[in-house]
Formats: sequence, C-alpha cells, structure tokens
Amino acid sequence: MDKMRLFAGILLFGSLWGFSECIIGSTLNEAGLPAGAIMTGIFAVTLLVTSRLLYRKPGMQLGMGLVAGTLRIFNPFVGCHLCSALAIMAEGAIFELIWYKIDLEDLKTLTTQSSIGILTAYLVYAGGYILTQILTPVISGPGFYLENLIVLMPNILADGLLPALMGGAVLPATLLVKKIDISIKDRLYYPTTIGLSAFCWLFIVGNWMLVNL
Amino acid sequence: MGKEKLIPLLAMSVLLIGISSAAYVHATQVNKDTISINGYDYTINQLFSMGTMRTIKTDEGKKTGVALDDLMSKVGVSCLSCHSYIIKAKDRYQQTISWDIMQTGILTDYGRVYFPDTAHTFWIRDVVEIQVK
Repeated sequence: MDKMRLFAGILLFGSLWGFSECIIGSTLNEAGLPAGAIMTGIFAVTLLVTSRLLYRKPGMQLGMGLVAGTLRIFNPFVGCHLCSALAIMAEGAIFELIWYKIDLEDLKTLTTQSSIGILTAYLVYAGGYILTQILTPVISGPGFYLENLIVLMPNILADGLLPALMGGAVLPATLLVKKIDISIKDRLYYPTTIGLSAFCWLFIVGNWMLVNL
Repeated sequence: MGKEKLIPLLAMSVLLIGISSAAYVHATQVNKDTISINGYDYTINQLFSMGTMRTIKTDEGKKTGVALDDLMSKVGVSCLSCHSYIIKAKDRYQQTISWDIMQTGILTDYGRVYFPDTAHTFWIRDVVEIQVK
C-alpha cells in the first residue's frame, strides 16, 4: 500500500473519530449520559478496529488518534478541550500497544472476539483517562500531583466497566466488516477520503470560529 | 496456555477489577451537604454570607460565586500564599491548586469551583472539602 493512500486513510478515520467526539460526544454530555464511556466503547473501538481490518497497517491508529485529538481541540461546544484531546491521542497510542500482538487470525471465535473487545475498550479508556489526568495539569500549567491520581484510581478502574461491556459487544459486530467488500476504485478513493475529511474539519473549525471570533 | 484461553481470562479479570472498583467507589462515596474547609464544616449559605461575591468570565460564559481567596481568609487560614489547596469532590475526584490560581477562583451556589484560566479538569463539581496543605 502506498504511503499517500495510507495517509488519506489516517486522515479520514481520524477526522471521523474527532468529528463524532465533537458532535455526538458533546450531545451525549449535554444530555447527562456517560459520553466518554460511550464514545470509547462504541465509536473509538469501531473506528480503530475497522481501520485496522481495512488497512492492516500498525501505526495507523496512532496517527488517527493524533488527527482526532487535534480536531477535538477545535470543538466549539462545552467541555474540557485539552483533556479530551489528550485522552483521544492517548487512546490511539494505547490501541497500538494492545493490538501489536494481536493477529487478526486470533479472532476466530465469538468468545475471543468479545474478550478482545472488552480488553481493548477497558484498557484504551482507563489508559486514556490516566494519561490525561497526568498530562493535562502538566501542559496547562498547575502541575501534576501523584496523590490526586492515586485517590482517583478506583473511579477510573470502575468507569472502565461500561466501555468494556460495550467493546465486548461492538468488536464482534465490527468484525463483520471483514466479510464486506468495501474496496473503492482508485479514482474515487482520494476524492472520497479527502472530501469527507474536509467536511469534518470545515464543520468543526467553522463552528469554532463562529463561536469564538 | 494458548491465546484462546488467556485472552478470555484477561477479559474476565478486567471485568472483575471494574466491578470491584465500582462497588468500592459506591461504598466510599461521600454524602454530605456541607463543605469542609481547613477542618471545619460549613453550609453553602454560610460560605456565601462570609465571603465576597465575584463574577468571572470563562469559555462557558460568566460565572458568579463566592471568591475563593476571600473565603480562605475569612475561614481563618493564616499565610494564604504559604499553602496549596486540595479541592475534593463527592466522588473522590480532587485537584491541588496553588495560591496563585486560588486567587482567581470562585465557588458557586451549586458547589462547583471555577478558575478562569485553567483547563476544565480543575473545575471540580460537587465540592465537599477544601484541604489546606
């Protein structure tokens, strides 16, 4: 696979992830629902696993996290922009670590598929949560205090339960992608990926400019 | 042990960790209507009658509440700038705030602190304690 094609895929899937975090995540948050858990357990797992299945290129999901996290910074809606952006970037990196040793051939039985979904969603969510608790105070200035993280650890480990259960159901469903041939003809690939990515960015950044400028 | 057995075992383990942590968090959640500052309990109304009001501008709009720096002074903290302040929530979430930042903050009548120039992670909800360290 040539690098430009992979880069366009990273841009597309990262933009879709960031877009869903901004629009759907913010809506869920406003409705008082567990937005972080739903976004990781359903949307992040679906997009990360789908891109892994379609492109089969380790490293791609790290790039997706960077793209999605960058887009999340421009979220025009309420919420902790920096913490969410850092969490998303961390989630992409943690997914890469978990899936480094996972061969797609390992995912034969429903039990294994569901178990990997649980592990992926739980570790991605809890890891992202922990890293953002460390990095946000460091980057934003006030500084990191280990005691604050230690006190919060039971909450983080508990909060990972809901995304884990979602991941256990979502991953087997996502694996159905393997059975669908969604190959796009070369002449349509770049217009589609770039067009959809551009829409995500223009919509979010445009709204951000309307709200802030 | 093969992957086909190890992976479900690991998944069961994280679920058990999640369930036991949820039970622990539920059992240890603080349920009280007062806010403890420097070891003494106050109601929100008491705190609002003690401190001066301040309106700050945040990226979520204007917020009004009692000024935290004035509040610390009124509750009798000596040498305000010598301390850092740990603000704790009902769900055990906590953040450590320096005096420089405390001077910009407010506590609202719905128990949330806001600081105009920090990330939202420092805007703690359901405050139950401000520990002077």
